[in-house]
Amino acid sequence: MSEPRAGLHTTSLTVRYGGVVANADISLSVEPGQVVGLIGPNGAGKTTFVDAVTGFTACTGSVELDGQSLDGLPPHRRRALGLTRTWQSGELFGNLTVAENILVAARPGGAGALWRDVFGRRDAAGKAVVGRALDAVGLTGVAGTLARDLTLGQQKLVGVARALAGTCRLLLLDEPAAGLDSNESLEFAERVRSIAAQGPGVLLIDHDMSLVLGVCDVVCVLEFGKPIFTGPPAVARTDPAVVAAYLGAPMETVDA
Amino acid sequence: MTTLLEFAALGLGLGAVYIGLSTGLLLVYRATGIINFAQGAMAMWGAYVFARVQDDGELVLPIGTIWFPEPPGTAVALLVGLANAVVLGVLAHYLVFRPVRRAPALAQVVVSIGLMVALQALAVIRFGPNSIQVESILPTGSIELLGATVPLRELTMVAIMIVLAAAVWAYLRLTASGRATRAASENERGAVLMGFSPDRLALIALVLASLVSTMAVVMGGSLTGLSPANYTLLVVPALAVVLIARLESIGLAVAGAIGLGIIQSELSLLATRSWWPQWAQSGLDQVLPFLLVMIILFAFGKRLPARGSLQSVRLPDVVVPRFVPWKAALLVGIAVACLVFFTPSYRFGLTTSLIIAILALSYVVITGYLGQISLAQSAFAGAAGFALSKLTTAWDVPFPIAIVVCATLAAALGMLVALPAFRIRGVQLAIVTIAAALAIERFVFDNYSLTPPTGNPIGRPTLFGIDFAIREGRNLARLEFSLMVLAILVLMVLLFVRIARGDTGRAFLAVRANERAAASVGIDVRRTKLIGFGLSAFIAGVAGCLIGYSRGELSAESFSVVVGLSVLAVAYLGGITSFGGALVAGVLGPLGLVYTALHSVFDMGNAYPLITGIGLILTAVLNPSGIAGETRHQVEWVKRKLRSGRAAPPAAADAAPAPVPAEKPRETTGV
Repeated sequence: MSEPRAGLHTTSLTVRYGGVVANADISLSVEPGQVVGLIGPNGAGKTTFVDAVTGFTACTGSVELDGQSLDGLPPHRRRALGLTRTWQSGELFGNLTVAENILVAARPGGAGALWRDVFGRRDAAGKAVVGRALDAVGLTGVAGTLARDLTLGQQKLVGVARALAGTCRLLLLDEPAAGLDSNESLEFAERVRSIAAQGPGVLLIDHDMSLVLGVCDVVCVLEFGKPIFTGPPAVARTDPAVVAAYLGAPMETVDA
Repeated sequence: MTTLLEFAALGLGLGAVYIGLSTGLLLVYRATGIINFAQGAMAMWGAYVFARVQDDGELVLPIGTIWFPEPPGTAVALLVGLANAVVLGVLAHYLVFRPVRRAPALAQVVVSIGLMVALQALAVIRFGPNSIQVESILPTGSIELLGATVPLRELTMVAIMIVLAAAVWAYLRLTASGRATRAASENERGAVLMGFSPDRLALIALVLASLVSTMAVVMGGSLTGLSPANYTLLVVPALAVVLIARLESIGLAVAGAIGLGIIQSELSLLATRSWWPQWAQSGLDQVLPFLLVMIILFAFGKRLPARGSLQSVRLPDVVVPRFVPWKAALLVGIAVACLVFFTPSYRFGLTTSLIIAILALSYVVITGYLGQISLAQSAFAGAAGFALSKLTTAWDVPFPIAIVVCATLAAALGMLVALPAFRIRGVQLAIVTIAAALAIERFVFDNYSLTPPTGNPIGRPTLFGIDFAIREGRNLARLEFSLMVLAILVLMVLLFVRIARGDTGRAFLAVRANERAAASVGIDVRRTKLIGFGLSAFIAGVAGCLIGYSRGELSAESFSVVVGLSVLAVAYLGGITSFGGALVAGVLGPLGLVYTALHSVFDMGNAYPLITGIGLILTAVLNPSGIAGETRHQVEWVKRKLRSGRAAPPAAADAAPAPVPAEKPRETTGV
């Protein structure tokens, strides 16, 4: 290997559950500032891919972030290196406020934190972190609300804000727009673009085709765990394999 | 070889008791998803009833006694004893387990521990604390086998228990309701849809389990005698057997029970050999089950079946604590005034309360914040206490430093016990920690080569020329000591508040809420658990040192597993999620202020643990946020009402956000 490559790169990533191959030989790249869409029918292995990349599922092949290999690292170490994710089901800490959900991601504890808690002085830096993260997803007035009291759409957005807190070099979004109405969804597309514009690459999984095809620079289509297409969205709409596997009909009619 | 065989045969008796207890545990678990820590205590009650009816025709009830005109003979006595077991099973179902069937694992563990504490206390009150002899219902005599003399009694016992276990197996396999029980343990919703009432299945299981276990203890009692402590805690090795059986297989449970009984018996033989190290003779019978539990959980922890249930209830609320100087000053002022003006006996009671509050605070850290069930806090406290004895007498380490060193030692022990928590959680962790606590108690605290029976004196604490010892001549509760304890409690609460409000407390709560999500936001879940166990063991260690200083001399009884469970009981009663709850727990705790007050009014004898046990069950069933939480809800309700002039019913489960952002009640699902 020559230059350390910026961004996320997987090479021949494969996940097996027993005899079932959930992800087969996926080589995918997300450059900094790029938005890549990962689409495919239910059960195609999209979430499995995110789980494998973030270290929640064992896989073969290799995962690399900004030239550093992540293979064998546990999830929290990957997060510390800037690989952040959201969950399809939200997975917020329901017993913490929105602000605390974000703060805990920015300062995840540890021995040093224990020392600071006991002997250090309180600082106000946390507030700024929370403010920035909530601004990035366009949420206001919820910082003091318990996460479990939010609507599903809000929970998804807090999940994104939580993923942006601290170091974020690559953001994996697992169905972030489910639960948003179509206006909110458009707004959310804008926010994804502006997040990417600030540096981190974004991998976006969603069922909302207009969102994915509208916002992404590149889409990758999975079927039965195998990538069957990787390229610009405009090409994906008309690619016969994609249409047959996933869309069932040319994209124009779906969009209409 | 002959001796080996004879000891193996002796081990069959113990194995038979394990068959009874583990079959009962397994059956209850399959039907309810609850590990019944009171299985041994329940069985012991019926066995006691049997023994007394058989002995002198006295049918002892929880309250009152019925006399048979003359001792009615063994068969009738056995029937009466088993009838008691049935009634106990029914009562346990309706009053204890049914109300918490949808509760989080913590509440279920707590409720069965409450039952265990209450039954043991009741047995002490009704049957006395000492061991009684039980006349055997089994044939005496022996047979010759391979040159060894094998007693018939053990052989008959194990045969009877195998038959009973086979009957339970047949119930689960061959009857419709047994099959439904197995189905329900996989998927409760499915069983409901099939038209079975999980409730009735649970009732049948509890009664059957109580019967089988009681039968085992009735026979086992004739080998070893009955005492309230020994069969209550025999549930711990039985739990090891249940884990061997992967919480599923009766056949494996029977094999494991017999195997464990035989190995324990052989170990006791080996321990008498000259080459066996003297320091390793005590408590082997508890170390072995602990090692077994550890090995099994490490090997299979993830694959042990978890139960799919209909719904779960939220854990008690957590309130991020705030340090309010005037409130703190007021509380400290009241405490100082009480300590100054109280009579010595009340001063001692209040001082004990302050110490127990520290111990309860360690439960708040580990259970309330981190969501891990640890039943080993008394062992951490005891380890620090015994270390203190060595440090202050043998090495003359001065007073405040000695506490820090010993508490740090306890923290290290705590982090060691945290290792299994990497793999397991919930009730399985409760099993590991109670097995660890019992192993430490028997292997270390009761070990005369480590802690001499002549006593473990502790040096007098002095600082800057002031003597903080508790006794001076005839003064048995010196004010100096009490004030020192108060100062340390304040220090511990301050420490707790700083940590709970900081990054560490937030990380604890995140881990408690959702370990997977916690890892995904960068929290090192393992390290967080290590820190939590270390911190809570440190606080428990400080309490252990103060218990040491308050006694002047240590005994293992101060730190027994049962003491630890009683403190858990009051910690849960007070409210396991706030330091206010820990303070309430201190006031309620064994030998504390309330105890002293009640004791001076009327002689309670041994009723106090009974009251805490029942209180614990009631709290877990009715009001999971504890007394402190309930008071807070009432206060919030009054505040809201005053503000809006509009009434809303005060409820323990009231989850409405409080008006002050810093005081939000929180809760979460599932431990």
